[in-house]
Amino acid sequence: MRGPRFLLAALAAGIAAAPSAGQQVARSQGPQSVAVTVYRAPYRGASEAIDLRWLNGYALITEQRRVTIPKGEADIRFEGVSGGILPQSAIVTGLPSGVVEKNQDAWLLSPGSLVDAALGKRVHLRRTLRATGAVREMDAVVRSGPDGAVVIQTSDGVEALRCSGLPETLTYDGVPPRLSPKPTLSVRVRSPRTTSATVTLSYLASDFDWQANYVAELAPDGRTMNLFAWLTLASADDTSFVRADTQAVAGRLNRDNVRARRASAPPLVLRCWPSGTTTSDLEEYQPGAPEEIIVGDVLNNLPQMRAMAPAPPPPPPPPPPPPVMAQQEDLGDLKLYRIPIPVTVAAHSQKQVALLARQGVKVETVYRIELYAGNPTTASPVRRVLKTKNVAAQGLGLPLPSGGIAFFAAGRARLMLLGRGAVEDKAVGEDLELVVGRSEAVAFEVANLSPAGRRTGEWELKATNRRSEPVAFEARLETGGRALVTDSTLGTRLGSPLWAVTLGPGESATLRYTAPQN
Amino acid sequence: MRHVLLLSLCLAAPSALAAQAAPANLAVTIYNDDLALVQDTRNLDLRAGRTRQEFPGVSGRISPETVTLSGADVGIVEQNFDFDLLSPSKLMEKAVGEEVTLIRTNPATGAETRERAKVLAVNGGVVLQIGPRIEVLRDDGLPVRVVFDGVPENLRPRPTLSVTVDSARGGARPVTLSYLTRGMGWKADYVTLFDEKAGTIDVQGWVTLTNTTGTTFDNADTLLVAGDVSGGNGGYRPIARSLVRAGTEASDREQIGDFYLYPLKERTTIANQQTKQVSFLDVTGAAARRAYVYRNDWLGTAQEPQSAASVLQFSSSRDQGLGDALPAGTVRVYQRDQRGKAQFVGENRIDHTPMGSDISLATGQAFDVKVHPVVEKREKVSSGRWRTTMRYTLSNARSQAVSVDLIQGGLWGDVRIASESEKSVRRSADEALWRVAVPANGSSTVTATFDTRY
Repeated sequence: MRGPRFLLAALAAGIAAAPSAGQQVARSQGPQSVAVTVYRAPYRGASEAIDLRWLNGYALITEQRRVTIPKGEADIRFEGVSGGILPQSAIVTGLPSGVVEKNQDAWLLSPGSLVDAALGKRVHLRRTLRATGAVREMDAVVRSGPDGAVVIQTSDGVEALRCSGLPETLTYDGVPPRLSPKPTLSVRVRSPRTTSATVTLSYLASDFDWQANYVAELAPDGRTMNLFAWLTLASADDTSFVRADTQAVAGRLNRDNVRARRASAPPLVLRCWPSGTTTSDLEEYQPGAPEEIIVGDVLNNLPQMRAMAPAPPPPPPPPPPPPVMAQQEDLGDLKLYRIPIPVTVAAHSQKQVALLARQGVKVETVYRIELYAGNPTTASPVRRVLKTKNVAAQGLGLPLPSGGIAFFAAGRARLMLLGRGAVEDKAVGEDLELVVGRSEAVAFEVANLSPAGRRTGEWELKATNRRSEPVAFEARLETGGRALVTDSTLGTRLGSPLWAVTLGPGESATLRYTAPQN
Repeated sequence: MRHVLLLSLCLAAPSALAAQAAPANLAVTIYNDDLALVQDTRNLDLRAGRTRQEFPGVSGRISPETVTLSGADVGIVEQNFDFDLLSPSKLMEKAVGEEVTLIRTNPATGAETRERAKVLAVNGGVVLQIGPRIEVLRDDGLPVRVVFDGVPENLRPRPTLSVTVDSARGGARPVTLSYLTRGMGWKADYVTLFDEKAGTIDVQGWVTLTNTTGTTFDNADTLLVAGDVSGGNGGYRPIARSLVRAGTEASDREQIGDFYLYPLKERTTIANQQTKQVSFLDVTGAAARRAYVYRNDWLGTAQEPQSAASVLQFSSSRDQGLGDALPAGTVRVYQRDQRGKAQFVGENRIDHTPMGSDISLATGQAFDVKVHPVVEKREKVSSGRWRTTMRYTLSNARSQAVSVDLIQGGLWGDVRIASESEKSVRRSADEALWRVAVPANGSSTVTATFDTRY
């Protein structure tokens, strides 16, 4: 067998067009230090929770890597970057010499791409005899692409892989160039001498998200609250960032609608010629249901099963001021929150760090209803709203990034959840109105006093306080800027008339007005 | 030694047809809209008369109807694009009526026996004739290797282009194959570092080209063309709103027709499934400023104050600007945080932008600068005419004073501004603009009354 093998090798070597041989490759296996800045999903509303299975935010990842740059032209390959990397956003700085070009190769090593890359090249065919266990190897040249099946040429002639019923497989001498296990970023540099350098690699990566999660504890008298917030960040990336300087950026950034291109990892499909036999069409031999072997799917289904489980219990009460709290700074027109200690942003995980805490924030409670003046029979429910201003005098005065909020009643033996809502991005100095929830204790009725068919309608609104303490009640009558006819004195809110009254325990109040019918 | 001879014959067989020369010179011209022109020059040793030439290694997404071949003393007889791919089924089907070798393996001993067989039919199963007897392949389930003598001529591992040429003389000469292909495109990516205090930007421009043709183009002379050659087809598409004033300066870049050309300085290998970036622009210290824009689309009330857009304004002019024509792409803006690390602060798209243009790039929403538009009053003046009073409250939580471009849209043609607290500019029939100064940690108010038809 020596003869043919030698000859075949020589032939195959001639056919294989050796691609740009002699290219130097320097590997950077991982970062020495890493910083992660997480950005919120651009189109997720304040009241929408983070969906851990579908994260639409992103992160800026900045890595410091130590690389040895050989003399001459070389590719420096950055291994272990985030799987969601957007290659066109990659920036490499700190290289002593210029970057010739940046590349990201997304042709992945897979059974299919191995065959594809071996087309026309020499591989080894290994056959094992079932009877004796004897292994026989011979050289072969791949003659077909990986779609359909593999046709190989051996010293015997042309054969199809695994159509004979014999245990047989192809083995390769090495991984073909340009096939990588994961999408790999590389830069081509030209250096006059061998040198080592610390380079900074930064890039945007998808599959991250973050938001604030507020916990408000309302004092028994309803005049103050303790406000605490978590910085909740989530990663659905496959890479863990260990001991990372971690930041989150609040505010809305514009993103161009770009998605990272999917890497190409063709599977290998082996399909032989028609293999019917004289008995295969007989009904008695109908094969049973094909055996289904599910690999990996069980794991993929896990989060879904978890999602179907009952809702989690309300979060625990806020702890005393935590030792580690995010530090806020201005970043252009955005707000940056820095976690002061290095933390690990693990793959497929959610992490929470204290974002802010304020004790004794002064609030006023108002019960509010919104309705159309011309058709008040359809109205919002009566909502309990906490009003304050985001200033130091009220106990606040700091930027409030958007996120969900849960209200608890403090000072009882058992903690009570009062309601859940959302906080929009609020700058310092802005009015802050937090909807706690709907109230059944303040009742509201509407009566139409005018006969049907009139162009204007006369209405009577009646509000009743069923609580044991006085409440401030207000009804905003949306008129689109038009005036109402009434004997009562009305205020204004957002350009529309506002009926505001204080109701003692058990008290009622009425408003009569005339408005154009809608 | 019989095997040796057979194998060498087999391996040599395809090359008897065509001289499979690797490309000697490969030139690739890439357009923006997923289209590239490939010019592939190979040294072919042509015999006088008619020969068929195969061209392996052309793009997997070639448009075969656009292929042309040119060379000295060469005429084209016909061009074929064969996409009958080699697979075991095809191999067996093409072997109908032909002889193959069967190698049976004794399952108990492993002993091999060889015999020749004729393939009679391949319909659902393979029917063979071995000497006088007829047999179905592997009917007994025992292992049988089928060895074919060769690969039929027109079965290819990949879609293959072949051209039959008529050569007036024999001898080697360069022959150029050119064709259009899908699966390659490019755009620009700009890395912009904004220094707000200094009022400058550093900009690096990269061309980003992608190759999904399934083919690697080795050592290609690459030229990028900034332009869309789809002939204006493809319907309407949103125009990036970043261009404020189109420039009138001519760039030093080479031009063909209406298109700017961006040649890569050196040859490069464009690998399959690769995203490649090459630098084309590096500018430091160009002037830039931050501005705020808010547009109220109609005469309506917002339930809460709305953030103004944070806009980065710069120029592509020769002095004070980037000094180049900018191909379409994405501009990513970074700013340094208090520790001096660059952080991403937003991005936007620009279209092909001539040199000398003013660019206004909305990177996101300002956290601290907000506008609250409210309809204060709406009165009926006469049948079909209304008078609407708007109040815009502009607030600024930053420690510097800012200027906000407040735009009221939806004014159509005949809306008049009856009164206003400060003078507006009617930018167009549809829009009025106020440039409002908002003090640090403070607010400003603009009121205006609009006379509208309804």
